[in-house]
This record gives sequence, structure tokens and C-alpha cells, in this order.
Amino acid sequence: MPGVEDRVGQDLLEGCRAGRIDAFERLYEQTGAKMKSLAANLLGNVADAEDAVQETFLKVCRGAGSFKGGSAVSTWAFRILLNTCYDTLRRRRRRPEETGAQILELSPAPGADHPLRLSLERAVRSLPERERAVFLLVEVEGFSHREASEVLEVPEATSRTLLFSARGRLKRSLSPMEGTA
Amino acid sequence: MKDETPRDPLDRDLSAAASSLRKAWDSPELWPRIEQALLLESSRKATEAPEKVGFFEDLFGSLAHNWRPALAGLALFGLATAGLLVFRGSGGRDPYTVSSSHAALLTEQAASEVERTEAAYVASIEKLSRLAVPRLEKATEPVLVNYREKLALIDGAIAELKSNIEQNRFNTHLSEELLAMYREKQRTLQDILQEVKS
Repeated sequence: MPGVEDRVGQDLLEGCRAGRIDAFERLYEQTGAKMKSLAANLLGNVADAEDAVQETFLKVCRGAGSFKGGSAVSTWAFRILLNTCYDTLRRRRRRPEETGAQILELSPAPGADHPLRLSLERAVRSLPERERAVFLLVEVEGFSHREASEVLEVPEATSRTLLFSARGRLKRSLSPMEGTA
Repeated sequence: MKDETPRDPLDRDLSAAASSLRKAWDSPELWPRIEQALLLESSRKATEAPEKVGFFEDLFGSLAHNWRPALAGLALFGLATAGLLVFRGSGGRDPYTVSSSHAALLTEQAASEVERTEAAYVASIEKLSRLAVPRLEKATEPVLVNYREKLALIDGAIAELKSNIEQNRFNTHLSEELLAMYREKQRTLQDILQEVKS
């Protein structure tokens, strides 16, 4: 029922524009878990991931008035989160001493003891920025290509191409591990 | 939600391992932290708003008390505006018109630059395609089949981007995307030729 979804999304946007805490709480309930996971995979530690999620909500609050719509508030929030994480990564590259001791090993999702996990985690970190984003959104967080393309503001076909390239690169970097896994 | 269908065993392993990268941890303090930050932000906005009202109230209040200088200022503004209108009407050079046409020229230049780069890519891709595509057409090796699928995806993306750009030639974001796709296609064709050689 897209009509109902649109109305719910519109209510959420209007709530955020009005600065209503209950609207932000609803957005957090809808997106918080995926936001934390995406940020943790991009930033590699819990503290920075939570800071990025908090900063994202503040940016949504500040920008809701000028947000033109065109995509769901949640999609827009994920776009802000990605940019916030990229900013953090860029800051880190400029001042690498800031991160040294903070990296924590995160517990994977329950039942997720796949032998490839650690190698894949490392390989994903070495992917180009956009390929990594598509891989994390689609393969890890379960977004459809339509949703991922809206977050990244690229056509759906580009999202598919980026994922194809990402998978190719990952397979190439993981294939020597096959025998040992 | 996902719409990719993994085929070979490594593809399946990759998909299984990918879902294990999903992170989950309890953070009962995160929402209260966000809520507090949002409340602070709202109260900051609320305290800024009355200051603006106060400024205008002050301005109009002072105008009410000092009407002579205000009237003189208005008269001066009126004269300046009339002068500008006469100047424009006489066909004189108007700084606003000059800057906007200059901006349009720059946009046009940027778009032409993109089109030139695009043409260079297309020429290079055509050369590479003449060598690589015939080898791909009958290939049955999984690596080459994979490359064939990748090229089909890239071609789809290029077609979609081109049709979007036709609607807005000056969309920089789409133009950058298109050039990135051409770069990807060029790289893929070079990889194919490398693969065929080895």
C-alpha cells in the first residue's frame, strides 16, 4: 500500500520539520539498528559509530526544514549518515593518532561465525568508497538496489554495476583463502 | 529485499559471509543521548528566534522615533532605484546581466568539456571493444562469462545515465557518474584483453 507508506513518511517528515521528538524517536526505531551497523562497518568501532548516528539525527533536525523530499526521510538520513562517516574517515586520515587505541572488535550478529568473516571484513575496508557503500547497503544490510541507489543518489543500474565490481574485487582478494577457510 | 542471485560457490559463500558482517549491540544510552542533543538543538533554535523578532522590533521602534532620517534614507533609495531603471532602459551595461550570462557561458563550457571527455572515452572504448568483444561472444570460461555480464551491466548503467542527462545536460552529478562508468568500461575491457592474453 504505497499510499499509506507515503502518508506515514509525510507525517514523519512533518514531525521532524516541526522538531517533534516523537518523530525522531520513530525514525530511530525504524533505522537505528541498521544505521549503527552500517556506521560500525565503515568506521570499525562502536564509539565512533554511535557518535555518527547521533550526529546524523542532529543534521536531520537542522536540515529537515530545507529538505525538498523526493525520497523518504529514512533514505535521506542514511545518505547523511554515509557522508558523516566519510567525514570521520577523512578526519582520521588527516590525524591518524586520534584513532589508535579506540578500535574495538565488535561482536557479529548472533550465529554469524562464518569462517570468511574476518578476511571479508578486511577486504571490504579496502574497497573503493562507493563500491563499499553499495556492498554494505545491499549485501550486509539488505537494502534493495532501488533503496541503495536512492541513498547514493545514483541510477539503479549504477548501483548494480558497483555491486558487481565490489563482488568481483572481494572474490579476487578472498580466493587464495578458499583452501584455508 | 535483495535482488542479486549468487551463482557459483564463492558467490554463495560471499553472500553468507556478507550477512555475518551485520553488527548488532545493545546501546540503551544512545537514544537518550540523541534525545538530549535534539532537545538542546530545539532550545538553541527557540532562543535564537525571539532575538530576530527583537531586532526587527528595535528597528521599527527606532524608525518610529527618528522619522526624519528614515524619510531622507527612503528618498535617497528611491532616487538610486530610479537612476538604475533609467540606466537599464537606456541599454547600458548591467552588472547583473553580465554576470549571469558569464555564468551560463561557464556552465556551457563545462558541459562541452564533459562531452569532449565522453567522446574520447567512446573512441578508446570502441578500439578496445573491437579487440575484446569477439573473444567474449563465444567464451564459456567462467571468468569471461563474468566479464560479459559485467559489460552488460555497465552498458545498462550508461544507457540509463545518458537518458537522464538528455533531460538535463547541465547536471554535473550525472555527468560525473557517466564518465565514471566509461572509465569502468574501459578498465573492464583492458582487464578482458589481459585475461585473454594470459
